[in-house]
Amino acid sequence: MEGAGFRKELVGKLLRLHFQDSGTRVSGDALQLMAELLKIFVTEAAVRGARQAQAEDVALVGVDQLEKVLPQLVGGHGGCR
Amino acid sequence: MRLKAAVHYTVGCLCEEVASDKEIQFSKQTIAAISEMTFRQCENFAKDLEMFARHAKRSTVNTEDVKLLARRSNSLLKYITEKNEEIAQLNLERKAKKKKKSEDRNKNSRESAEDGEVDNEN
Repeated sequence: MEGAGFRKELVGKLLRLHFQDSGTRVSGDALQLMAELLKIFVTEAAVRGARQAQAEDVALVGVDQLEKVLPQLVGGHGGCR
Repeated sequence: MRLKAAVHYTVGCLCEEVASDKEIQFSKQTIAAISEMTFRQCENFAKDLEMFARHAKRSTVNTEDVKLLARRSNSLLKYITEKNEEIAQLNLERKAKKKKKSEDRNKNSRESAEDGEVDNEN
Protein backbone atom coordinates (compact mmCIF):
# COMPACT_ATOMS: atom_id res chain seq x y z
CA MET A 1 0.00 0.00 0.00
CA GLU A 2 1.51 3.25 -1.13
CA GLY A 3 1.70 6.48 0.77
CA ALA A 4 0.58 7.31 4.27
CA GLY A 5 -2.05 5.30 6.06
CA PHE A 6 -3.38 4.02 9.36
CA ARG A 7 -1.43 1.22 10.99
CA LYS A 8 -3.36 -1.91 11.88
CA GLU A 9 -2.28 -1.60 15.48
CA LEU A 10 -3.69 1.91 15.73
CA VAL A 11 -6.97 0.94 14.09
CA GLY A 12 -7.37 -1.96 16.49
CA LYS A 13 -6.82 0.26 19.52
CA LEU A 14 -9.23 2.87 18.19
CA LEU A 15 -11.99 0.34 17.71
CA ARG A 16 -11.46 -1.53 20.96
CA LEU A 17 -11.70 1.79 22.77
CA HIS A 18 -15.41 1.89 21.95
CA PHE A 19 -16.51 -1.73 22.06
CA GLN A 20 -19.22 -2.34 24.61
CA ASP A 21 -18.21 -5.95 25.12
CA SER A 22 -14.62 -6.58 26.20
CA GLY A 23 -14.72 -9.92 24.41
CA THR A 24 -15.22 -8.40 20.98
CA ARG A 25 -12.25 -8.87 18.66
CA VAL A 26 -11.38 -7.82 15.15
CA SER A 27 -9.89 -10.10 12.52
CA GLY A 28 -6.62 -9.05 10.91
CA ASP A 29 -8.23 -8.69 7.51
CA ALA A 30 -11.00 -6.54 8.96
CA LEU A 31 -8.36 -4.30 10.56
CA GLN A 32 -6.61 -3.87 7.24
CA LEU A 33 -9.90 -3.08 5.57
CA MET A 34 -10.84 -0.57 8.25
CA ALA A 35 -7.46 1.09 7.79
CA GLU A 36 -8.37 1.53 4.12
CA LEU A 37 -11.79 2.89 5.03
CA LEU A 38 -10.34 5.43 7.42
CA LYS A 39 -7.77 6.45 4.83
CA ILE A 40 -10.55 7.11 2.32
CA PHE A 41 -12.50 9.01 4.94
CA VAL A 42 -9.65 11.37 5.70
CA THR A 43 -8.56 11.73 2.08
CA GLU A 44 -12.10 12.50 1.00
CA ALA A 45 -12.43 15.22 3.63
CA ALA A 46 -9.12 16.72 2.54
CA VAL A 47 -9.92 16.56 -1.18
CA ARG A 48 -13.38 18.08 -0.76
CA GLY A 49 -11.91 20.82 1.41
CA ALA A 50 -9.29 21.48 -1.24
CA ARG A 51 -11.92 21.63 -3.98
CA GLN A 52 -13.98 24.06 -1.92
CA ALA A 53 -10.94 26.27 -1.42
CA GLN A 54 -10.21 26.17 -5.14
CA ALA A 55 -13.82 27.08 -5.90
CA GLU A 56 -13.50 30.05 -3.56
CA ASP A 57 -10.15 30.87 -5.11
CA VAL A 58 -8.23 30.74 -1.85
CA ALA A 59 -4.80 29.18 -1.43
CA LEU A 60 -5.45 27.75 2.00
CA VAL A 61 -8.00 25.19 3.09
CA GLY A 62 -9.27 26.72 6.32
CA VAL A 63 -12.01 25.66 8.70
CA ASP A 64 -14.47 27.84 6.77
CA GLN A 65 -13.98 25.71 3.70
CA LEU A 66 -14.01 22.48 5.70
CA GLU A 67 -17.25 23.37 7.43
CA LYS A 68 -18.99 23.58 4.09
CA VAL A 69 -18.02 20.08 3.01
CA LEU A 70 -18.12 18.12 6.26
CA PRO A 71 -21.89 17.68 6.65
CA GLN A 72 -22.17 15.73 3.43
CA LEU A 73 -19.25 13.55 4.38
CA VAL A 74 -20.43 12.63 7.84
CA GLY A 75 -24.14 12.66 7.12
CA GLY A 76 -26.43 9.84 6.07
CA HIS A 77 -25.95 10.13 2.33
CA GLY A 78 -22.52 8.73 1.53
CA GLY A 79 -21.49 10.75 -1.46
CA CYS A 80 -18.00 9.49 -2.23
CA ARG A 81 -17.53 9.57 -6.01
CA MET B 1 -4.13 10.91 24.76
CA ARG B 2 -1.60 9.15 22.62
CA LEU B 3 -4.21 7.58 20.36
CA LYS B 4 -5.47 10.99 19.31
CA ALA B 5 -1.92 12.11 18.66
CA ALA B 6 -1.32 9.06 16.48
CA VAL B 7 -4.49 9.76 14.53
CA HIS B 8 -3.49 13.39 14.17
CA TYR B 9 -0.12 12.37 12.78
CA THR B 10 -1.59 10.05 10.17
CA VAL B 11 -4.22 12.61 9.19
CA GLY B 12 -1.44 15.15 8.79
CA CYS B 13 0.45 12.82 6.46
CA LEU B 14 -2.62 12.12 4.37
CA CYS B 15 -3.46 15.82 4.10
CA GLU B 16 0.14 16.46 3.09
CA GLU B 17 -0.31 14.07 0.17
CA VAL B 18 -3.49 15.81 -0.96
CA ALA B 19 -1.83 19.20 -0.48
CA SER B 20 1.05 18.41 -2.80
CA ASP B 21 -1.28 16.75 -5.29
CA LYS B 22 -3.68 19.70 -5.42
CA GLU B 23 -0.94 22.30 -4.92
CA ILE B 24 -2.81 23.83 -2.02
CA GLN B 25 -2.23 24.16 1.71
CA PHE B 26 -4.17 23.02 4.74
CA SER B 27 -4.34 25.17 7.83
CA LYS B 28 -3.36 23.56 11.13
CA GLN B 29 -6.90 24.00 12.38
CA THR B 30 -8.25 22.12 9.38
CA ILE B 31 -5.95 19.17 9.99
CA ALA B 32 -6.94 19.20 13.64
CA ALA B 33 -10.62 19.33 12.70
CA ILE B 34 -10.35 16.39 10.30
CA SER B 35 -8.38 14.50 12.91
CA GLU B 36 -10.98 15.14 15.58
CA MET B 37 -13.79 14.14 13.23
CA THR B 38 -12.01 10.92 12.30
CA PHE B 39 -11.44 10.07 15.92
CA ARG B 40 -15.11 10.60 16.68
CA GLN B 41 -16.24 8.62 13.66
CA CYS B 42 -14.28 5.65 14.98
CA GLU B 43 -16.69 5.46 17.87
CA ASN B 44 -19.63 5.13 15.46
CA PHE B 45 -17.74 2.61 13.34
CA ALA B 46 -16.73 0.54 16.35
CA LYS B 47 -20.24 0.38 17.76
CA ASP B 48 -21.74 -0.51 14.39
CA LEU B 49 -19.11 -3.18 13.74
CA GLU B 50 -19.67 -4.73 17.13
CA MET B 51 -23.42 -4.78 16.54
CA PHE B 52 -23.05 -6.36 13.12
CA ALA B 53 -20.83 -9.10 14.50
CA ARG B 54 -23.11 -9.73 17.44
CA HIS B 55 -26.09 -9.88 15.09
CA ALA B 56 -24.30 -12.65 13.21
CA LYS B 57 -23.64 -14.32 16.56
CA ARG B 58 -19.90 -13.74 16.33
CA SER B 59 -17.53 -12.21 18.82
CA THR B 60 -14.94 -11.39 16.17
CA VAL B 61 -15.56 -8.58 13.71
CA ASN B 62 -14.69 -9.70 10.19
CA THR B 63 -14.51 -8.17 6.72
CA GLU B 64 -18.21 -8.76 6.03
CA ASP B 65 -18.99 -6.40 8.90
CA VAL B 66 -16.66 -3.78 7.47
CA LYS B 67 -18.31 -4.11 4.07
CA LEU B 68 -21.68 -3.56 5.70
CA LEU B 69 -20.28 -0.40 7.22
CA ALA B 70 -19.32 0.85 3.75
CA ARG B 71 -22.77 0.26 2.25
CA ARG B 72 -23.73 3.96 2.37
CA SER B 73 -22.09 4.70 -0.93
CA ASN B 74 -21.95 2.43 -3.97
CA SER B 75 -18.52 3.58 -5.06
CA LEU B 76 -17.17 3.28 -1.53
CA LEU B 77 -18.61 -0.22 -1.19
CA LYS B 78 -17.12 -1.20 -4.52
CA TYR B 79 -13.70 0.15 -3.56
CA ILE B 80 -13.76 -1.57 -0.19
CA THR B 81 -14.87 -4.86 -1.71
CA GLU B 82 -12.00 -4.70 -4.19
CA LYS B 83 -9.54 -3.83 -1.43
CA ASN B 84 -10.82 -6.78 0.55
CA GLU B 85 -10.07 -9.13 -2.33
CA GLU B 86 -6.63 -7.58 -2.74
CA ILE B 87 -5.90 -8.12 0.94
CA ALA B 88 -7.19 -11.68 0.88
CA GLN B 89 -5.06 -12.44 -2.17
CA LEU B 90 -1.97 -10.88 -0.56
CA ASN B 91 -2.46 -12.91 2.61
CA LEU B 92 -2.90 -16.10 0.61
CA GLU B 93 0.39 -15.45 -1.15
CA ARG B 94 2.09 -14.66 2.12
CA LYS B 95 0.78 -17.83 3.71
CA ALA B 96 1.93 -19.89 0.74
CA LYS B 97 5.40 -18.40 1.06
CA LYS B 98 5.48 -19.06 4.80
CA LYS B 99 4.29 -22.62 4.30
CA LYS B 100 7.00 -23.24 1.78
CA LYS B 101 9.61 -21.71 4.10
CA SER B 102 8.55 -23.85 7.03
CA GLU B 103 8.53 -26.95 4.83
CA ASP B 104 12.09 -26.18 3.85
CA ARG B 105 12.97 -25.58 7.48
CA ASN B 106 11.43 -28.89 8.52
CA LYS B 107 13.38 -30.61 5.83
CA ASN B 108 16.60 -29.03 7.11
CA SER B 109 15.81 -29.71 10.77
CA ARG B 110 15.05 -33.32 9.99
CA GLU B 111 18.44 -33.63 8.40
CA SER B 112 20.20 -31.92 11.31
CA ALA B 113 18.24 -33.99 13.86
CA GLU B 114 20.38 -36.90 12.90
CA ASP B 115 23.32 -34.95 14.39
CA GLY B 116 21.55 -35.14 17.74
CA GLU B 117 20.03 -31.68 17.91
CA VAL B 118 17.08 -30.64 20.05
CA ASP B 119 13.84 -32.06 18.76
CA ASN B 120 10.48 -30.35 19.18
CA GLU B 121 7.47 -32.12 20.57
CA ASN B 122 5.12 -30.77 17.93
